Amino acid sequence: MRKNPFAYYGKKLLVFLVSVFILSVAVFYISRLAPGDPLMSYYGERTEKMSVAEKNAAREKLGLNDPIHIQYIRWVENAAKGDFGISFQYKQDVMEVIGSRIGNTLLLGGIGFVLTFAGALLLGVLCAWFEDKWIDKILCKVGTLLSCIPEFWLSLMLILVFAVTLHWLPSSGAYDVGHQNDTLNRIVHLILPMTVVVLQHLWYYAYMIRNKLLEETRADYVLLGKSKGLSKKEIMFKHCLRNILPSYISIMAISVPHVVGGTYIVETVFSYPGIGALSYESARFHDYNLLMVLCMMTGVLVILCNLIGGIINEKIDPRIKANEVVETSEVSKV
Amino acid sequence: MTEQELFTLVGIRAEQSAPAKKVRRMQGFPWISVILLGIIVLCCFFAEVIMTKDPGYLDLKNYNVAPNSEFLFGTDTLGRDIFSGIWYGGRISVTIGFLATLISTFIAVVYGSISGIAPVWLDTLMMRFTEIFLSVPGLLLVLFLQAILGQANVVTLSIVIGVTSWASIAKIIRTEVRQIRNSEYVVASRCMGGKFFHILRKHLGPNFIASIMFMVVMNVRGAIASESTLSFMGMGLPLEIISWGSMLSLAEKALLSGCWWMILVPGAFLVTLLMCLTNIGNYLRKNANRKESNL
Repeated sequence: MRKNPFAYYGKKLLVFLVSVFILSVAVFYISRLAPGDPLMSYYGERTEKMSVAEKNAAREKLGLNDPIHIQYIRWVENAAKGDFGISFQYKQDVMEVIGSRIGNTLLLGGIGFVLTFAGALLLGVLCAWFEDKWIDKILCKVGTLLSCIPEFWLSLMLILVFAVTLHWLPSSGAYDVGHQNDTLNRIVHLILPMTVVVLQHLWYYAYMIRNKLLEETRADYVLLGKSKGLSKKEIMFKHCLRNILPSYISIMAISVPHVVGGTYIVETVFSYPGIGALSYESARFHDYNLLMVLCMMTGVLVILCNLIGGIINEKIDPRIKANEVVETSEVSKV
Repeated sequence: MTEQELFTLVGIRAEQSAPAKKVRRMQGFPWISVILLGIIVLCCFFAEVIMTKDPGYLDLKNYNVAPNSEFLFGTDTLGRDIFSGIWYGGRISVTIGFLATLISTFIAVVYGSISGIAPVWLDTLMMRFTEIFLSVPGLLLVLFLQAILGQANVVTLSIVIGVTSWASIAKIIRTEVRQIRNSEYVVASRCMGGKFFHILRKHLGPNFIASIMFMVVMNVRGAIASESTLSFMGMGLPLEIISWGSMLSLAEKALLSGCWWMILVPGAFLVTLLMCLTNIGNYLRKNANRKESNL
């Protein structure tokens, strides 16, 4: 049963737009209704010394006195023109603030993502191949242990060992002062944060691959293949692995936000100038415009990745009905 | 060659009696984890007995002291005894873990059951929502919520963690409920005028409790980890409320002064606790199904 591709993608687009709209309204309202004074982020300490009249004038100037829905409509109007307002804290255009940092996050998250999933596939297959042998047992134990270590503590220990004690690697920043264009310098600064990002997620997905593969080896077609005389290698790679790859790819798509989101904490610990540290700052200091754009970016990424995951799944495996959504419960962990 | 080897039976296997299976009910039971967990939790709840110092006392003469016989795990940058702080703070970490899980499980049970019983369109809508919810990295959500709410205490932190971690349990419950909602006993109960919460408690609950136990244990683990991460980042519990996370929030100062014990000790306890919970959770999950490989 072939569906009209326009209707198919149109429906997806509609879902996407509605989700983005709901998200933007939710973030807008929650951030503005929450306690806390956005003037603090604009004027800093000075806010406390300001009189009521001065505060009111400042609010008027920043457009914070209007009802929230008016503020929202104004925000949407401006956003449509590409104007996302200024960051209260940096007194700069929001896009400029983000633009100067997003590259660092994409580098960390992007390379981390590729390394994680390539490594996880390798480790997962290795473990499944040697099921219940010593190598599998050791890898599983190490994996369980590593998955129990909170990201920030792993980062701290790495800093403690490699930066403070051994002085091998730098503990913070993306590059040394004056070495902005030095690739080697940047790589050296990336090693520790990258290690944390990869180790945090690697085992989780490796374990998933292993379990899915082992589930496959218990299927009936493996018995058939074996009775036809196929070798273990052929069964494993030509049949089992192929069967689990579609779900793996869709899980990869869905987990983009998780891997990228994981970099947020790492960035904070390593004082790495990315958007992770920025978004947490903006939420803390009620820097509305910045928070809004960062939340929308993360949200759009999440929604988009989910959609792509779903589409990939449906394309590869037509058994999945068009309206059935991808199993996300497996990626529920950060 | 003997006659037997020349004429083997083809297609029919010689009769074999099935190997006698030993019934080992407690196979793979994580004794070590359970005992360790028990010890840590017990010690935390009887912290007053174990503590050698007042954990909140700022001993300004002895700050940054390395572990010695008086301060077993050393003191932190404020001069607080870490040994006492571990047990005292552990209580708060564990409490948050359980409180948050209680909240999230309650939400999950109600939400999942409603979704499971509801008509298809409502069910689809509710499940859509959980999916969107799930795809947002949980810790990020907690971080933003807490950042917006401002200064945290034990209760608000538990609530924030609780309301952000119910979705995966709710999904499992919904699936289970959908499978059993048309069973005769549920229908019968409904016909006799059984209310929603009655059916939930008497019929649905006992059926899905086994399948969510693993998730519940993992939720405790997640909540404890979230608390420590948040407090470490300075968005969770403040420094005065001692927990493992808030003890670790001094880590930056500790790194500068090279005081490894301030980072290592609370972290080691944290990881041990999380490890125990994971092992128990994995046992619960594995216990459910184990099949032999065909390969």
